[in-house]
Amino acid sequence: MALLAQNNTATPSFDPHDLSGVWQLAPGGGGQGPGDNFPALTPWGKAKYDANKPGYGPRAAPGGNDPILKCDPIGFPRILFTIWPFETIHIPGRILMLFEGQHTIREIWMDGRKLPADPEPSWYGYSVGKWEGDTLVVETIGFNDKTWLGAQGQPHSDQMRTIERYRRVDRNTIEFNLTIDDPKTYTKTWITEPRLIKPRPGVEIQESFCVASEEEEFARRIREPAARQTGK
Amino acid sequence: MKNTAHQRSALLILVGTLLFSSASASAHHGNSAYDEQARVSIKGVVTEFVWTNPHSQIYLDVKDKNGSVVHWGVETNSPAILTRAGWTSRSIKPGDEVTIILCPAKNGAPIAYIGSGDPGTKVVFSNGRELEFKDKTAQ
Repeated sequence: MALLAQNNTATPSFDPHDLSGVWQLAPGGGGQGPGDNFPALTPWGKAKYDANKPGYGPRAAPGGNDPILKCDPIGFPRILFTIWPFETIHIPGRILMLFEGQHTIREIWMDGRKLPADPEPSWYGYSVGKWEGDTLVVETIGFNDKTWLGAQGQPHSDQMRTIERYRRVDRNTIEFNLTIDDPKTYTKTWITEPRLIKPRPGVEIQESFCVASEEEEFARRIREPAARQTGK
Repeated sequence: MKNTAHQRSALLILVGTLLFSSASASAHHGNSAYDEQARVSIKGVVTEFVWTNPHSQIYLDVKDKNGSVVHWGVETNSPAILTRAGWTSRSIKPGDEVTIILCPAKNGAPIAYIGSGDPGTKVVFSNGRELEFKDKTAQ
C-alpha cells in the first residue's frame, strides 16, 4: 500500500471528463459579466438595455436598478462571472454546479435527454449536456427575461439559448466558451470572449445567500445615502 | 502629511486624504457611488460590525477637525470573501479603535467602501494589527 508505483510523468495526471472541484473564472471571477462587446441590439433589446441602470461598466451611475440589489436571483450566465467561486459535482445522470453566490444549485442533465420543447421560464433555464470528445457542451433554454447577463446591464429575453463549452486542457485549466443566441435581443449570435477557469484549492463553498431583510437594511444605511445626489 | 496627522494623536481625528495614482485596472468593485481612485484614512471608535450577506459593514464614530463626532458607515465584502482573507465575525468589536483606509463616497456623505477589489483598503487597529483582503487560499 505504501509502495504505490510512482507515475513516471512529471505532470500530474487528470481526467479530461472530470470537472469536479472548486473553480472560478480567471481572474477573480471574470469581470462581472460576459463583456460589453455584444452584437447590435434589436429595437426591443435596445429599449431593455436603456432601461437597465447598472452600477458597473461604461454606463455605471450611483444607485441604479440592478435586480440583484433586491436579492433577485443572479441568474445564468451572470452567476459564472461573479466574485464567488463554484463547485462542480458529478453524480449519475447529472452534473451539478454549486455556486457560492446566493448558494445556488444549477443542474445539467447528462442522461441523454433532449431539451424540453417548451419549458416554463425560469431563472437558470433547463440545461442538458453531453461530451463531444473532451469538451463538455451544455445547451440551455427556458429562461425568464428578468435577469441581466452581467453587472453592466446587458439584457436578454425569454428566447435566449446558451451554449457553453468546457474543455479541461490540463490539471489547472478549463477553457470556457459561451455563445448566446437571443434573436429577440441581439441581431446576431453573441460569441463571447473565450475565458479560462482555474481551480481554487483550499476553498470550501460557503453560504453567500442574499438575505433580503439584511440587504434592505444595508440599502437604507449605506447604499442609498452613498448614492444620494447632493448637488455637490 | 499622513504622519503629521497621525501624531496629532488625540483619538478620532480625520487623518487626511492620500490620493493614489490612478491605477484604474485595480478599481473593479464597480460601485460607482464610490471614488475608487482615492484612498482616505479615517480614525475612530467602532460602534458596530455587521457580518451579513452579501455586504458586511463597519460603523464607527470619527471626530472631525472641529471636534464634532461624525458617524461613518463602511461597506465591505461578504462573509465568504472575508473569511478567505482571514477575517471572522469577531475580528472587529464595538469599542475597537481603528484607522480605516477607504474609498469615500463621491457625494461627500460619511459612507465608504473597503474590499478585495480595491488594493490598499484595510483596517488597522491601535496595536498595529491589520485586516486586509488578500485571499489566503489563492495560489
